[in-house]
Amino acid sequence: MSTAADFLRFDGVAIRLGGREILSPTSFDVARGEFVCIVGPSGCGKTTLLRAASGLVAASAGEVRRKGVKMSEPSREVAFVFQDYGRALLPWRTVEGNVSLALEAAGVPAAERAPRIAEVLGKVGLAKHAQKFPVQLSGGMQQRAQIARCLAQKPELMMMDEPFGALDALTRQSLQDELARLVRDDGLTVLFVTHDLEEAIYLGDRVIALQANPGPGRPSLARMIDVKIPRPRDQLTTKEHPEYLQLRRELFAFIEQGHD
Amino acid sequence: MTERRLLRWLRPWVFPALLVGAFEWYARRAAALGSDALAPPSAAARAFMGAALDGSLWQATGFTLGTAALGLLLGAVLGIALGLVLGLSRRAAQLGSLSIEVLRPVPSVALIPLAMLTFGFGVRMELAIVAFATFWPLLVLVQSAVQQIEPRLLEVSRVLGLSARERAFKIVLPAIAARLFVALRLGVAVALVVAVTVEIAANPNGMGYAMMIAQQSFDPALMLAWLGWIGVVGFAVNAGMVLLQRVVARRMGVLP
Repeated sequence: MSTAADFLRFDGVAIRLGGREILSPTSFDVARGEFVCIVGPSGCGKTTLLRAASGLVAASAGEVRRKGVKMSEPSREVAFVFQDYGRALLPWRTVEGNVSLALEAAGVPAAERAPRIAEVLGKVGLAKHAQKFPVQLSGGMQQRAQIARCLAQKPELMMMDEPFGALDALTRQSLQDELARLVRDDGLTVLFVTHDLEEAIYLGDRVIALQANPGPGRPSLARMIDVKIPRPRDQLTTKEHPEYLQLRRELFAFIEQGHD
Repeated sequence: MTERRLLRWLRPWVFPALLVGAFEWYARRAAALGSDALAPPSAAARAFMGAALDGSLWQATGFTLGTAALGLLLGAVLGIALGLVLGLSRRAAQLGSLSIEVLRPVPSVALIPLAMLTFGFGVRMELAIVAFATFWPLLVLVQSAVQQIEPRLLEVSRVLGLSARERAFKIVLPAIAARLFVALRLGVAVALVVAVTVEIAANPNGMGYAMMIAQQSFDPALMLAWLGWIGVVGFAVNAGMVLLQRVVARRMGVLP
């Protein structure tokens, strides 16, 4: 019954919070294994869209369907990487303990946890820091710890809300490359919100642009762009690729003109 | 170097020593003038030794501390449990707010007549009053601590699919641990005050009653000995809580 196309389907999803329309009816599909980036100006509902897709907020109209089933509550198959890694980690648990939380929640027996923790910490390059507390880590390492916790869930879908927005440029680049590698290795499907257009093109198979206050009856979804730059991508050659430059120009122009 | 450390260690004791000395001098003079109301600290110390040797000191101290601890345990468990519920659910908080605001200001000592009618003299009456008195501060402080938990952590627990039980023990309780300890220290102080008060006013047991009896039998030395001892016990209990708090905080990584 389920096909590649209805792995994740937004069907006229609109969200109203406190009497204000945060997201106007939006429809699109995400295929299994796809990396979809969502961009748009502040207040356009990017984060809200992501929260609806993971069941953290309920849609006021329309519905989000995952493999044909309506999403109403968070599921362990959907991981969520929050932007504010400093708040999303338990300060009283070590890196290892934070990753363990995901396994404890999933009911993984205590004896099986250690190898799985070691595995995901190895994947994100935190093997040597397993015993440290979050306050002892840099921002980039804290975000790696949060990603490790999400990977430990063994999700099929990963929601990422501006995960690298607060990091310095170099850390961000290395995390982008590590994420691309992880996603490819694990065959993950990713919905990635960012305000950085270049990051969206660099990481995504597809970029969805939202607009703020589209006006009554008009959808928040303003633009959908396929990114056909070959993978694996890297910071130098990909960013000199003609298609990258052309998409970058196109998206910047689109965001600049305010897309009425 | 060592001399300076010795001085630093001695300095806090200067004022109490002066005070005791002055009191000793004043009480001896009053006694010489024929007063029965005051006893010098030296006489109180002798009375203290007597009580310690005949066992009455330990028996009464054990009773008061045991009852205060049990009452606190009862009040704290109920207060923490209800505080968690009211802190996590806005609907429950609205449901309970009026009852709490009406019941909370009732002075716990005003419950003595009711408790006496219900339970008679003895442990159960004192337990009930101590539990009542400690229930409210714990309830209110735990509720506000839960409401101040980082909302992101609760979202993390939802996304990871933690059960309600796991959420309480793995997210909520550790997150409020520091505030919970402050509340418990307050609870300990309240429990001790209320226990001694109940013993002075009604319950013929424990340190408060022993002090009352000393006063009624015109034994100011023994009365003073009890007063000083109650102070020492209070100080020791609080110091123990501070120590415990530090150990727990370190184990939980709050002070790595």
